[in-house]
Amino acid sequence: MSDRDDDVYQGVARLVEFDAPPGDLVERIQFAIAIEDIDVEAARWARMPALAGVRGDGNGTITFSVDDLTVMVNLTRTGEAHRIDGWLVPAGEHAVEVRVAEHGSTATTADESGRFVLTDVPRGTTQILVRLAGRLSGTVVTPAVVL
Amino acid sequence: MADTNPPWEGLDGSDRHAACMVAARHGNRKALDVLVAELTPLVWHVARGNGLDKASAEDVVQTVWLALLRHVDRLTEPKALVGWLITTTRRESYRARQNGTAQVELSTELAEQVLSRDPMPEAEALREERDQDLWIAFSRLPRRCQELLRLTVLAGRAEYQAVSEALRMPRGSIGPTRGRCLNTLRTLLSDDEGDVP
Repeated sequence: MSDRDDDVYQGVARLVEFDAPPGDLVERIQFAIAIEDIDVEAARWARMPALAGVRGDGNGTITFSVDDLTVMVNLTRTGEAHRIDGWLVPAGEHAVEVRVAEHGSTATTADESGRFVLTDVPRGTTQILVRLAGRLSGTVVTPAVVL
Repeated sequence: MADTNPPWEGLDGSDRHAACMVAARHGNRKALDVLVAELTPLVWHVARGNGLDKASAEDVVQTVWLALLRHVDRLTEPKALVGWLITTTRRESYRARQNGTAQVELSTELAEQVLSRDPMPEAEALREERDQDLWIAFSRLPRRCQELLRLTVLAGRAEYQAVSEALRMPRGSIGPTRGRCLNTLRTLLSDDEGDVP
């Protein structure tokens, strides 16, 4: 008997079919990579264990990090939009761009302590880009997350 | 017609991916979208097979594709894309596991899914139960086996010819390592059955 005809293998094949990536993942990735810069460092989402699985409730703190930079953002819902209070470590007057799918982007510059504020940011699939200033160079991008 | 056919049209497997990579190097962003659409299931299953829960797998899949952006110009052999994706995903999955937030028992995920379902017909419920036993047994396999079996299923599909090429896994054959993984799975399943009188 060929293994491919095997019941257990067929079951595994069904499992693999069932365990498909979330329907919107491809679209989110396509959004995330549709950026001008290609020489980017991808920051990883450092989710706290207590927050695992909790996403998109509109409030809370999210941390992304990569070797050169940690990006902390605190979200506050304000009606249909939200306010983003951000903090970049190491501090510096880095340029910050927040892209929201179908809503264009909002840009600002962090102050010398690495803090930045953006108000009235539309909710949706969101990505943050940080163009590093000072001794650091390059662009750090976060994954596209639904905020 | 203003648009000529894209250079990857009509190509399959690694030739198709190579044509997309070359087009992407020349600034064709559509080419990357094609790769993302066609190969995200591969990256996903490598992440899941390496012990990540769904949320962490999503993060890792995005990280891998963002990492590809800077490698578009650096991958010396565009045909080797599938191999690069698999290796990079394994490394990122390992890193996510080291962070310690990435693992949820598969059985917990299943329980959540089942609880959220409406009542279903008996035949379907039976099949569901069989599948659950299988999933739980599958999640106890060594990660190497989980990844291999997931990739074997993908490689068995015509559109994943490049996966079977990258793994040197001729379509229609399973090979001794995969056979051993299936045997381990059978043993885990029959152990479970032994528990229930």
